[in-house]
Amino acid sequence: MMPDLGQVGPAAEPVVQPVPEKLPAVVFDQVGKTYGRIHALSQINLAISGGVTGILGLNGAGKSTLFNLLMGRCKPTTGQVRLFGIDPWQDPTPYGRVGFVPESEKLHDWMTSFDFVTTFARLHGFTRDEAKVEAERVLDFVNLKEVMHTPIGRYSKGMRQRVKIAHALVNDPDLIVLDEPLTGCDPLARTTIMNVVRELGRMGRTVLVSSHILGEIERITEQIVLLHRGQVLALGNVHGIREQLDRIPHRILIHCSEGKRLAKAVIDMEHVHGVMIPSEGVVDILTHDLGAVHQHLPSVLIEGGFKVTRIENPDDDLESVIGHLVGGGGR
Amino acid sequence: MGSSTKAWSGLDRKATAVAEFTLRQYRTRLSTWVVLASCVVALGTVLLFYIDAMNDTVESVDNDGDGLFDEDGPDFPSSVDATSTTFGYDDDGDCRESDRPDGAKDTNNNGVVCDAILRQNWFGGSAILWDNDVDEDPNEEYFVEEATHRAFLLGYGKLGIVFLLGIFLPLFLATGLIRGEMTSETMHFLLAKPIARGEVLLYRMLGYLTLVWPASAAVVVLSALVTGFAAPGEGVFRFEDLGIWLAILLATWLALLVYGMLFMTLGVMWKYGIVLAIPFAAWEFGMAFLSMGLPSSPLLRVSVIGWCLAIIDAATALSWSDQEAFIAYTTDYAVWSHTVVAPGESLGFLTSQAPFEISATGNIAVAILVLLFQAGVIWIIGQSLFKGKEIA
Repeated sequence: MMPDLGQVGPAAEPVVQPVPEKLPAVVFDQVGKTYGRIHALSQINLAISGGVTGILGLNGAGKSTLFNLLMGRCKPTTGQVRLFGIDPWQDPTPYGRVGFVPESEKLHDWMTSFDFVTTFARLHGFTRDEAKVEAERVLDFVNLKEVMHTPIGRYSKGMRQRVKIAHALVNDPDLIVLDEPLTGCDPLARTTIMNVVRELGRMGRTVLVSSHILGEIERITEQIVLLHRGQVLALGNVHGIREQLDRIPHRILIHCSEGKRLAKAVIDMEHVHGVMIPSEGVVDILTHDLGAVHQHLPSVLIEGGFKVTRIENPDDDLESVIGHLVGGGGR
Repeated sequence: MGSSTKAWSGLDRKATAVAEFTLRQYRTRLSTWVVLASCVVALGTVLLFYIDAMNDTVESVDNDGDGLFDEDGPDFPSSVDATSTTFGYDDDGDCRESDRPDGAKDTNNNGVVCDAILRQNWFGGSAILWDNDVDEDPNEEYFVEEATHRAFLLGYGKLGIVFLLGIFLPLFLATGLIRGEMTSETMHFLLAKPIARGEVLLYRMLGYLTLVWPASAAVVVLSALVTGFAAPGEGVFRFEDLGIWLAILLATWLALLVYGMLFMTLGVMWKYGIVLAIPFAAWEFGMAFLSMGLPSSPLLRVSVIGWCLAIIDAATALSWSDQEAFIAYTTDYAVWSHTVVAPGESLGFLTSQAPFEISATGNIAVAILVLLFQAGVIWIIGQSLFKGKEIA
């Protein structure tokens, strides 16, 4: 059960000057960023306001650079970045309305999570007492209230991730930016964090969350920005990408000691277009209907008495989606 | 409540939050305690040598060989006139009561019998010319101890506290104020808040000062207590040195501020800022000696330590108004008595003129303003460097 942020009461009066509500939370206008001769980002045009948006991309696609620009840590080489209408490189004012969860796992290990959140809450202009109340509220929200007086150094990865999220929520932000929040988390922490993110979206906050795993983002949101080599490759609903994916054949890799016998057994299956044996003990099945093949596969395997060590769907990762989108045809 | 009050309280909340955070961060680091403890041990050891020196008795010398010890003097003026001043007193009366004609009682030719004068010598220093049999057998213990005490206070204060403490603490505690957060990747948290980078710099400095100012004050107060009780003098405690100690404390605080600001900025500039700090520290070390050997050198005006030590020089003139005559006395005494090593030599080296021909307080005020100005300029440079820094 997720506690409702709204019921705890509004955060204390923010010291930050209010920015007109109509402005979109995040605007990238023709933004490019180069490091020497490397183009980290080019021609980025985005306007994001409300809801949860997934920033998808492989490592090195430009997700971190995008966030660095957004958080005023780097200056765009070309174009303009606007956070609630303000250039974040020049003016830190909009951060009063932003919560940022950095990718880095580094935290001040010597502090307790309560001290950590309280300290950074005060940078939003809370008094010491107000900050303590707010810190307790957000730590409760991410289920860390019981351990909040324990030094962060003793926390698990998932707990550390949640401390960062709690600290980002302490100012009751309109925009929450999470850089790879699920990396290194165990399944339970993953579920908790995903729930928190979805909950924030439901509460009408603008949430940006980056990931390099398509499946993760799909479980959080439908609205995505797909980055590839510093450019926006696709934008919009994740189903669009799924549909494109469905038009090209899927692959199923089965690791099995009797590869040739298995190949013969599956070639006659319905929906199977082709079978390859890329290496000894591996069978590569091509199909347009992944679901149907997966439905019938167990019975074929059991009937034949095959000893299967592993089944993989290599297409179901971001790399092959991007491969298909960029190449137009797939492998 | 106006909006300005609100802005102030907001500023205050941020400032205290960052300063408090910085202070707690220092507290959890072993290096902080090692640095502080090594300073205390080093200075404490020097203090022990001082106590030892004060407990050594200086043997009385029968300078004139008349069988009496220390029967005459010492006498020297409490203030220095520019060229020629009559002073001194023939304590045992052997000059005044002698049968010699008055001309033979006025060997320094100033028209007064049985006196001594303080003259500007050829090197710009001062020298004493005695009439015969005036102060011919003064009390060695008195002025050797007095000179040793003053020399120690100035040497220990100028080099031990103002320079070494003033540069050693920021070298280890200020260089990482910003750079440390950058390398440990925790700067993200600070920069993702509605707080300007220049403010981060300022509040981190504030946290640093909250540690080093009280720490250095404790060192100064302890040293003042130890030397105050161990020093030669009439009463149980020597109050006349407190002005010097106050100047030492002030100079140390300003040194800690300017050096801290500078080293923090060097840390912003470059990952290995401490490497840049070392040649600078060497320059300052040279300047510290120059300020004693050649206090009129214009080079001192482009240093930090030159201005810090000027505060102590001006305070010396205020607290020990007889300092110049005293140096002359102890130096010249050694020349004609051939008996003791002159403590005046080292005292003369450690004592300098304040830089400007204005009052001592005026000199102190100018030095304070210059040092604050230096800190301000470095902060402006530091924050513009930090503002332009991309922290990926």
